[in-house]
Parts: sequence; structure tokens; C-alpha cells
Amino acid sequence: MASTSGPNAASEIANTLSTAAVEQPPLNVVDSVDSKVTKSPPPDTPENIRTRSFVILSFWIVVISVGIPLWWITTAIYRAPLPLKEMQSWADGRACRAEFPLLIDVEAPLLPDPENLLKTVQHALDDANDFSAHHLRLRLSTNAPKSPEKEEDEVVAATLRLSPGPAGKPHSYNLTPSSRVINLSYSPSYNPSTSLSAFVASTLQEIFAEEQQMISYLLASTTSNPSSSPATSSSTSNGNNGLGKVKVNTADITRKMSRIVRYSPTYHLTFSLFTASGLPNSWDVEHAISGYLQPLLDALGGISTFTVDSQIQFYASLSSSVSPTWVPGPEGGEEKGQWVLEKEDLSSFINSAEWPLVSITSYPTINFIIYIPSKDQTPLLISDSATNAFLLPQWGGVMIMNPNHGSPNSSSSSSELTSHLSKEALKPALDLFATQLLSLLGAPTRPASLPIRLDSLTRQRSAELVVSASSTLGSLYRLTLALPSISIPSSVSTSVASTLLSLKNACRELKNGRFAGEGGALEEGKNAAIQAESAFFEKSMVGQVYFPEEHKIAVYLPLMGPVGVPLIMGATKELGRLFRAWKAQRAIR
Amino acid sequence: MRLPTLPWSTGSFLSLLLLPLALVSAEEHSSYDENLLLRTLPGNSVLASFRFVSNGTFNSHHSVFPRSLAQILQHSQTKELHLKFTLGRWDAERWGSQIWDGRTAGGTGVELWAWVEAGSDAEADARWTTLNNALSGLFCASLNFIDSTRTIRPVMSFQPDGHHAEDIKERLHLLHGTLPREPVCTENLTPFLKLLPCKGKAGISSLLDGHKLFDAKWQSMSIDVTPVCEEIDGVEKCQLQMVQTVDMVLDVERSLRKKDSVIPRPPHLDQMICDPNKFYSGSDSCFPLDDISDLSWSLSEMFGRPIRGSCPLASLPTSQSINVCANVPDQRAIYVSAGGTEVGRGDNIRCFILEENTDFDIILPDQSPAILLPNIEPPLYASRSFTGHGQERGGVQAVLRNPSPDRHVEFVYLESLPWFMKPYLHTFSATLDPPIETQWEEKIIQEIYYRPALDRRRGTQLEARMRIPPNSTVLVTYDFDKAVLRYTEYPPDANRGFDIAPAIISILAPRNSQTIFSIRTTSLLLSLPTPDFSMPYNVIILTSTVMALAFGTVFNLLVRRFVGADESVRMNPVQVLKVKIMAAVKRIKAKRERSGKAELAKKNE
Repeated sequence: MASTSGPNAASEIANTLSTAAVEQPPLNVVDSVDSKVTKSPPPDTPENIRTRSFVILSFWIVVISVGIPLWWITTAIYRAPLPLKEMQSWADGRACRAEFPLLIDVEAPLLPDPENLLKTVQHALDDANDFSAHHLRLRLSTNAPKSPEKEEDEVVAATLRLSPGPAGKPHSYNLTPSSRVINLSYSPSYNPSTSLSAFVASTLQEIFAEEQQMISYLLASTTSNPSSSPATSSSTSNGNNGLGKVKVNTADITRKMSRIVRYSPTYHLTFSLFTASGLPNSWDVEHAISGYLQPLLDALGGISTFTVDSQIQFYASLSSSVSPTWVPGPEGGEEKGQWVLEKEDLSSFINSAEWPLVSITSYPTINFIIYIPSKDQTPLLISDSATNAFLLPQWGGVMIMNPNHGSPNSSSSSSELTSHLSKEALKPALDLFATQLLSLLGAPTRPASLPIRLDSLTRQRSAELVVSASSTLGSLYRLTLALPSISIPSSVSTSVASTLLSLKNACRELKNGRFAGEGGALEEGKNAAIQAESAFFEKSMVGQVYFPEEHKIAVYLPLMGPVGVPLIMGATKELGRLFRAWKAQRAIR
Repeated sequence: MRLPTLPWSTGSFLSLLLLPLALVSAEEHSSYDENLLLRTLPGNSVLASFRFVSNGTFNSHHSVFPRSLAQILQHSQTKELHLKFTLGRWDAERWGSQIWDGRTAGGTGVELWAWVEAGSDAEADARWTTLNNALSGLFCASLNFIDSTRTIRPVMSFQPDGHHAEDIKERLHLLHGTLPREPVCTENLTPFLKLLPCKGKAGISSLLDGHKLFDAKWQSMSIDVTPVCEEIDGVEKCQLQMVQTVDMVLDVERSLRKKDSVIPRPPHLDQMICDPNKFYSGSDSCFPLDDISDLSWSLSEMFGRPIRGSCPLASLPTSQSINVCANVPDQRAIYVSAGGTEVGRGDNIRCFILEENTDFDIILPDQSPAILLPNIEPPLYASRSFTGHGQERGGVQAVLRNPSPDRHVEFVYLESLPWFMKPYLHTFSATLDPPIETQWEEKIIQEIYYRPALDRRRGTQLEARMRIPPNSTVLVTYDFDKAVLRYTEYPPDANRGFDIAPAIISILAPRNSQTIFSIRTTSLLLSLPTPDFSMPYNVIILTSTVMALAFGTVFNLLVRRFVGADESVRMNPVQVLKVKIMAAVKRIKAKRERSGKAELAKKNE
């Protein structure tokens, strides 16, 4: 480039030197270093200066337009687009206002004016109901055969059968454990407008109160929607409106909810017999389960399915922190005394280091344990426990069994443990485990009718699934915002899309009142929850980026430094020249 | 258990041991039996062989059969499972034939093989992975590292031990994996003991303790799960049988010394028995002699505690099961504590039944001179080593010796090599050493099954059926290339080398080609060319520097202005520096002078 130099140009130096800003010979400091007479270089031609500017500019253009984008593209982390707004609205509970309409058929063949009664009862119910998402709807049942498609879209939650009771008795109702029919017998001398309708309303409310509270708790605890009333207000209003038999306070519901095992389409049930010695060495658990528990498991089949196994573990010792205390029996009494476990001991009762309770199934395991203490620790009792059993929230149930204890001839045989536990001997344990299983799954404790309880469990599980899927979406939403360096594969995006679809379907089905069955709210909720989980726990999202930030600097600096310095220096020099030229021009003007 | 009686089989006492087993397994489902065999070995060593047999059903209700293992088998559709944890080397030259005909011991590290039911190879692989991962969790071992590169499908070496229905048999896939580098330790023993119904709290398993077990010269833990069917009154009854064994060779001297002082110290010269026949023998040098006398030992000294009574489950349903047997020369005295009754006394063997809740101990007094049991010769001696040198290629040489004076030995030699060790099959050869004069008509190698390696996908599988004439030695050799690994494929501590799984030698019965005896060679340590691991960064920096250099040159060429040398008024940097320094010196001097003057002025005042 700037190579124009020659002795003939030297004469021009003198007059141009003052204006040529570039390459000014700076050295007037030293006077006598070089004895030779030095020539000054010729002035730079304007073309040279222009070319140099173009060179620097073109370098910068290449760096900015090709280099940086290329670097950006090759090192960028793929983040699939997510419907963030929609996800957030589901997480906040704004997207769907879940409704639980329950249809109740009323059969009143002998009542003179059933429509009127229905109207009053419906009014009373609507007035008393403070949680609008969950409401009861009454319908007078016509005995005419219904068309099948009508049967399909209208699911009846319960049937109320009104019939006259014996004279002189007040109104009463009863439920059978195996049907959805509420038999209500009214006193023949009733006052149709007030007393009977009030009684019917209170009956219905009592039956569905627990479910309603559970659902309202579920929806309220997870959504920030202020309109869905928290459970506190419902308990107080229940006390006020005269239907006050039902009193479930918040603490009670919280406790109940904390017990419930996370929903899964399949559960694994493990029945374990832990014995502190080598006896008993066999139990008839196979027959006992099929006899006492299988009917319940079959009934629950619509909600979850169950796989079952059992084991016996010998020489199972309690963990060292659990030490029962010896309480001697009353003087002279038949009872010799007993070993007592305090409530504090129960939390560490399961010796998880020693007891093999882990299953390799991919779905959750619920454990039921029968513990048989050693001969010298019999009888082992839990203080203040009638059943000698306890429930471990979200985990399972434990029963301490003292064979041969409590039977009339216990004094003779208590020294020897039986070697076999028969089916009959296991009945109390399995009955207890059935109750524990229901409460672990979250079935309400009332009413007496099992179908109604299971229906209400279905609704409750649907609500739970919708809420949990929504909150998972919310977590994913927050995660993607919180970690900008995390990669989001496209599978996450598809999972999120199908979660949203399932959630919408579930919400629609809830409004329609179709909870169970094919395409019902429960199934859609299941899908939503599964898809949301798979989106959130996507493996490749967890994986660390190969180079952490500080490593990037270590890798890039050897290239960026030596390349960047000449570029920046060139640019600053050029800018400085332009600035001086502009200044000089202004000075001339 | 069905072990064919063989000339070299451990003979009479084994049948004595196995008799109760047969009774137990026939009697009832979910039964359990355990027994312990102690045998004195040359060189003041004691072999202790624990054997636990649990029977279970195929459904999901378990009693003595551990649920945790049954669940894994069911989940992975595994029909037969063999899992071995081994440490050390069985010294066949000294100790003779391996216990249980070598069928319970594996190669150094972890060895696992299983018959998995699956419709296709891919499905079998998936179930095999499931099995490995689950077992890895159960036994706290790195079994999950058995991937496709460490898995082979042996063709000739293994046959299922259990009874499998014909229709299932067609769908069974045999998969075999080894982890020669796995250090077997206490964390593997604890889950092993948890599988036992008495959990080491009663019965012979109460002797098992990690400190003693892993202090042994050689030890092996094994689990074999097989479906076993027996025909009783014309009805075939099947059950799932698990045989757990723990075999170990304890050094009596070492075990007793530990009792006296925890820190190992060389014995004092007075206490050593020296060989006076050595030429250097004198007051200050000693060649120690073993086998001069048998030291006295007892169970509680060797294992740190006596047997804590019998496991009550083991005596079910028959009370005939024998718990402890000592295979000790008849001439040597044995004292037993209370808590055991002697039953049956055979040739060099005494057996005892334990009582519940009573400690049991066996004491052997010292014996001089030592009495040795008749040595049982193994059917084959095998050793394997590397040959060659350098980082590029090497060779393997296996020395196989048939000690029998009159019988041929037919066996399958199985090598499972990692993919980065690339053997040349054409160099695979077997030569008789020394070559015998009489014309040896048959070839030594009769059949070869070879499955070549695929880089990073699977290893080499080499099976060779061979026949060795009586009283002769065969050298099996082959050459191989060492591959260069990728940077990330090196394990931590890459300079230590890579462990190569032991070769498995399965000796076949003369007629029906069923395996009757197994021998494992030791594992080998292969050193591969190992790079400097800071290399990637060096490469990055070097490349960047070269690129920056080129860029800077071009950029400067384009941007700089060039003038004639005589026109440049610039000085070279050295001159600039000189001027600057001189200027600085001048300044300092001037300062000094000024301050000196000021001081003078002060003084003058």
C-alpha cells in the first residue's frame, strides 16, 4: 500500500508537514542520537488514506456481519418455542374454572308434588353452597326408559329415593354400602314446603360435604384465584347455616390431604411380614388378599390398577432409636405387663436401612407391614391405639401383631410363637389395610356408600390431576425463564402442547360432569399429568452444557485476543484520524 | 443341584453334603438350607465354603426367596441368572482342584450371565440392560457399566443349568458380561447377606464379616438362580432355586497375627522357621519355610466370632440337614464346643448339626509335622499372559496343561476382549509343547466361533473348542493391535491400563458336551497409548495463535504505510528505551540535586 516514497517528494515535506496529521515525525526530543541526516517520508496520498479506511471498514463489516453471527449460531443453545402465556395462565388457575356439577336423580313415586319439593330443595342447596364450582343439581327421575345416548352424557351421582316412613317417626335416611341409592323415608305428616325440603337439602349436603371441602381445598391451595374461597370460610359458614352436623376444619383437611399418595394410574402394593425372630415362617397372605382385599381393588379399578406382592423378612430388627418401654401390668391381675411404643417412636419405626422395602417398579409403591415382635418383647403395643396400627402418610401402613396375645388361653401359648398365620388370623390386619389404603388414596371417610365414595374419589383425583399438571406447567414456565442457558428440545414443546390439549379437554369434561370412563375428566387429567411430567423431566434438559461460561473464555481468548487487538487498534487509529481531520477542517473554517 | 460324579470331583464328602439338599428341595416349596464346608489346604490355609439354598415360587408372594431379587428377575424376564464377585487367584498348583468344580466362582471382578426370555435380539438387549441396572442398584456394584461393548453371547461355553420348558427355551437369549476392574468389597457383601433369610444374625452366615472375608487370599461370592423341577409321584413340581455361595481361602497365620497386632510387622528372627539347606542361610538371612507344622486355629479366631446357633429356617422341613462339615485329615484332632452334634463321619470328613441359640466353635490344635489332605488334581492348569512390547501391538499367550496321564481333555476356551484390543484371527494358533514324537493325528483346535469387534459398539468374542492329549501342554497364542481411543473414552487414572477380562475355560464332558468344570485365568492389564490430557486446550491455543499470527500479518500488511528506510525517523525500540531511561535518570539526578541544595540551604540557615 502506502509505498510512495522518493527523494523528489522530499522537497514538498516542508510545507505540508504542518497539516499532515498522520505519521508526523514526533522526534524533536532527541537531538543527537543519529548523526545521519534523515529524510522525512513523503506525505500520504489521499487515495492511500481512503483505501486504508476501506480496508479497516471492510474487516469490521466481515467480522460483524459474518463472524459474530456465525459464532452466535454455532454456539447457540436450541430452545424450542413454548406457549409461555398459556402455560402461565394454567399455572395461575386462570385458564380453567373447574366445575363439578353433580346430578342427583330423585325418585318420589308417592309424593304428590315432587316438582315443587325439588325446586325448594334446589334453592336451599344453591343458597347454602358457598363454593360455586361444586354444586348439586336435582332432577326428577322419570320411570320411562331413557334413550341410551342420554344415559351417556348425563351421569347420575346418586339417586335419592323418597318414600313414606312409618307414622310418628321423624325424617330419616340411610345408605347401603354397595349402591348409590339414598333411601330417605319421610314422616307422613310432613310439611311439604319447609321441613321435608330442609331435611332433603341438609341430607344431600351432608353426604357431599367432605368431597366438596376436599376439592375446594385442592383448588384453593394451588391456585392464586381469590374467588375460589379457601376452606376456612366454608367451615365457618357450615356452622352458621344450620346444617351444622358436618364440621371439618382446615387442619383436618390439610392432614387428610397430606396423607394422600401422588396419583398414578398404577400402584404397587407390597405386603410384608416382618418378624423379629425366625417365626412365623409362613402366612396365608395370598388367599387373605384375594378374599378380603381383592373386591376393594376391583372396585378401585376404574381409578387406578394395582399390582400386589408379598414377602416375609425374618430377624427384622427395629432401628436402634426405637425402644419400647416396659409397662408392668396391675398387681395380681391376669395381665403380666406390656411393651409400649410412644408416638414419637413411630416416626422412625421403619428401619429403612435394614428392611428391604424398595421396589423397582416405575410406579409408586404402597407398603403394608405386619410387624411381629420377638418373644421377649411381646406384647408390643402402641400407646393409645385401639388397632395397634398406624398409617405413614404417602407411604403405607404398619400393624403390630402380637399373635396369641389377648386370647383367653394366652398364658399357656404366649411363650411359643406360631409358625403359620392363617387366613383368618390375617383378616383384622387386611381389613385395617383396606381402610388405610382408602385413606392413602384420598377417598373420603363418609358417606357409608362405597360407590359414592369412589365417585367422589374420581372427582377428587381429576381435580388433583388438573391442578398438578397445571402446576408442573408453571414450574416449567418458571424454569425456562430462570435458566436462559438451558436447552429446550422440541419434544418438550410437543409434550407441552399435548398437555394443554388434555387440560382443555379435562376442563370441558369436568363442566359436562363426565368424570370417569373413556375420555372422561380423569383420563384426560391422567394424560395431562403424564405429558407435563415428561416435559418437565426431559433428560436432555437436565444435561449440563459441555463448556461452562468460564471455560468459554479460556477457549475463545487465545483467538479473540490476538485477532481483536489489531482490529480495535486499527479502528481507533482510523477514528482518531477522522476526528483530527474533522477538527482541522473546522479550524480552517 | 446335580453335579455329575467325575474322577476329579471332590468325591465322597460332596455327595454327603448334597444329599440333604436333594431332600429339602423335594419336600416343600419355599424351603431353605445352608451349610459350611471347611477344608485345610497346604501352606496353613483354610478353605471356607458357605452355601445357602433358598427355594421360592414363581408367583409374587415370597418367603425365603428374596422379593427384591425375584422382582428384578420378573421385571427383566430373566429365567436363569448367574452373578459372581471374585477377588484374587485360585492357586491351583498349590490348592488343587477348585471347590464345586469351579462352577460357583467367576473371574476377577464381576461376572454376570443370564438367560433372558425375549422375542428378538434387540428386546433381549433392552431386558439385559434393565437387569444390569437393577442388579447394580441391589448389589451396589457398577453392573450398569456392562453395556454392549462388554456383553457377548457365548455359543459353546455355557448351557442352562435349570429346567426350562421347550417353548421357552427357544426364546431364551444367553448374555454374558464382565467387569474385570470392579473391586469387590464390603458394600457388595452387605446386600448379599440381606438376601439370606437369617441375615447373618443366626446360622453359619453369622460368621460372614467383611473384614475377614476381604482379607482372604482368594474369595468369591456367587448367586445362581435357576428354575428347578422335580418329578414327585409323576407330578412335576417346579420352583425357583437360588444358590448363594461364599468361598474363601483364609491364611491362618495372617488371621491369627491380626489378633495380636493390628499393624502388620515382620516376625522376629527367632520365631521364623528357616530353610537351612539354602546356601545363604546364616544368622542374618532366612528363607522361611511353610508347611512345617499346621498352626492351631478355631472358628472364632479365624472369623472373629463363633457361629451364633443355627438358623431356624434351615432345619425345615427335615431336620436332617447338615450345617457344618470339616474336611480335615483323619489324623488331626478336632474339638468342638457345645451347640453342635456330630453326625456322619466319612473319609477325612466330619459333619455337625447346629443347635438353635447356642454358639458353636470348632478348634483345631496345632499339628507338627503338617498333615496334608490328598491333593485333588484339577483337569487342567491354565495361565495367560501378554507377550510383545510397545504401544502399537502385542500378543497373548495362554499355557494350558493337561496333567492327566491317560485322558484327553476337551474344553471351550472363551475370550471376551474389548473393542480396542483387535486380535488377528489368522495368528490364533495352538502348539503342543513339547511336540510329541508319536504322530498326533487330531488337531488341537477343533472348532472356532469368532465374532469380530465393532468399534465402540461391541467387543470381540472368541470361542475355541480344543482337545489336549494326555500329559501335555498346549500354548495358545495370538497377536493383536492396540487401538487409539478418543480423548473422552479414557477412564480416570488412564495410565494404570485397561483390565482385560479373564479367559473362561469350560471343560466338557466326554460325551454330551455339557460343561462339567470351569476355570478362569487371571485378568490382564493392557496398557494403551495414553495421551496428555491437557491436549485439547493446547491444540485450541496453538491453533488460535497460528490463526491470529496469520491474521495480524495480513491485517498489518494491508493497513500499514511503508516508507523508505532512510525516510523513517523512527528509532528502533532499543534506542527509544535507552532515551527514556536516560531521561528518567536525568530527572532523578536533577531532583536529588535540588533536594541536596535545599538541605544545604537549611543547614546554612
